[in-house]
Amino acid sequence: MIDINWVVFAPALSLIIAASVSLLITVFKKNTKLSAIISLIAVAVAAAFNLQLFLNRAEGVQSSFGLEYLADTPALGFNFVILIATALAILISYDYLEKRNLDQIEYYPLMLLSASGALVMVAAGGMITLILGLEIMSLAVYVLAAWKQDSPASEEAGMKYFLLGAFASAFLIYGIAMLFGATGSFNYAAIAASVSSDGFDKIFYAVLASILILVGLGFKTAMFPFHQWAPDVYTGAPMPVTAFMSMVVKTAAFAALFRIAASFLLDMPSFISQILLIMIALTMIVGNMGGLVQTSLKRMLAFSAVAHAGYLGLALFAAKTVGIQAAVWYLTAYVIMNAGAFAVLSLIVDENDQADSLDDIAGLAKTHPALATAFSIFLFSLAGFPLFAGFIGKILVFQAAIENGYVLVAIIGIITSLVAVVYYLRPVIVMYFKNTDNKITIQPSMATTIVIAVAAIVTVLLGILPGWWYGLFEMGQRIVAAG
Amino acid sequence: MIGTEYYIALSAIIFSIGTVGVLSRRSAIMVFLSIELMLNAANLAMVAFARAWASEGALAAMNGQAAVFIILAIAAAEVAVGLGILVAIFRYRETTELDLLSEMRL
Repeated sequence: MIDINWVVFAPALSLIIAASVSLLITVFKKNTKLSAIISLIAVAVAAAFNLQLFLNRAEGVQSSFGLEYLADTPALGFNFVILIATALAILISYDYLEKRNLDQIEYYPLMLLSASGALVMVAAGGMITLILGLEIMSLAVYVLAAWKQDSPASEEAGMKYFLLGAFASAFLIYGIAMLFGATGSFNYAAIAASVSSDGFDKIFYAVLASILILVGLGFKTAMFPFHQWAPDVYTGAPMPVTAFMSMVVKTAAFAALFRIAASFLLDMPSFISQILLIMIALTMIVGNMGGLVQTSLKRMLAFSAVAHAGYLGLALFAAKTVGIQAAVWYLTAYVIMNAGAFAVLSLIVDENDQADSLDDIAGLAKTHPALATAFSIFLFSLAGFPLFAGFIGKILVFQAAIENGYVLVAIIGIITSLVAVVYYLRPVIVMYFKNTDNKITIQPSMATTIVIAVAAIVTVLLGILPGWWYGLFEMGQRIVAAG
Repeated sequence: MIGTEYYIALSAIIFSIGTVGVLSRRSAIMVFLSIELMLNAANLAMVAFARAWASEGALAAMNGQAAVFIILAIAAAEVAVGLGILVAIFRYRETTELDLLSEMRL
């Protein structure tokens, strides 16, 4: 029985085809801009296929390869987030690469391949599909992180990310082996059925598997205590790649974590939930405390990405009910405001991604008022001020945690997000109120300006009208597709 | 027939050796090899479990064995990319010592 439903994986397929086509074309005509445009079209086509699947979602579970590749509501929601993030990352790269002589032709195809891996990971209905997607995504990002050939920081980032990423996938794969030993299957639905059945007696292997899988995916989502690589890698990689990593990789890893939490992690003995709880609480604390002491804005955003992983983790406890809906909303808001912030930074920094300290943006409001306003909007939203997208996102995840009885960790989340206001506001104060006469030269770029403008508008719109996007992804109870 | 738990114990030992290797070795190549050891430990566990599940039907056993091949392919792909990055770094610095790769600090 071969069950192949091409439409279900058309979004990922269109990205792969576009990557191959643009590699082939650029063999004859070395033109990176052309491949950027092909990539953008491919992302649009993938989004169109995704929309088609989304409109058909009421007609039952759409799947392929016998429930190994799903196109259910969670997968389609996360797919939209990934495709938006990819499009924004491509636009940020468009002029950035050319100005720094980084515009080798393989850049955009690698980014598309990585995004296609993320789509596979999100759609995975089983552990083997998950690990395949994870590797397709990660292998391309390892190369992108080391993209700047003559920069020690970028090479260090690539090497560190590669070694730690491979180490983490080894844990994940060993965890999958243990889970296979416990349940005799790789499919989420079968695992869930086996774990919750009465005669389940291999609890030892299942617990071991849960811990190993948490370690493996904890690395990818940059959760404490596996977050140390994140600030270094995010700082060392070129700016658009950092944006891509903090958006796409995080979304895909969280999507996988949600499915795993819904299918068996939350049904394990309660100390597994407690381990997860401690990880999340410490992620929020460490991420925000780390952000407080940074002077480099890029590094500050890296710590902010760690802290946001903690907030997203709060929704994990509600993975069986409203958690995924809240996470899709949070990730949409996060992707847009984060892309905006990185886009602003990519205009400010010099050739080597330096000159992004607080002093360097002093007086930006005088020389470039529009840019300063947009940057302030993103920082306010990241901090979680009302009327911006980030605020609604935080409300949703805190609500999800509190409804499921995790009040203490939600309170820790609220306190840390108040502390975080300090470091998010510091650049705003410096931009507007610090008197200097330094001349800030920004590098004009049409594509990046579009990203900043769109992101600023959407950040505000999502903050004022949160309901429509949230309502679209009503999940009901069925997160794990039962055959 | 040797019991499944012996195979799992062996694979756990190999996995631990690999983990210790990753954490203690200084050369990137040796770290790399240790990661391969960890992946092979997972393969050994999977084959052992596949044999144990064979009594439940051929499908479970086949699943486990097929997964091993997929993981072998993943390991090979990782080697290709990893060695590529390693060569790029070596060309620039003429060393693979990881301690020298830590210019960035908090």
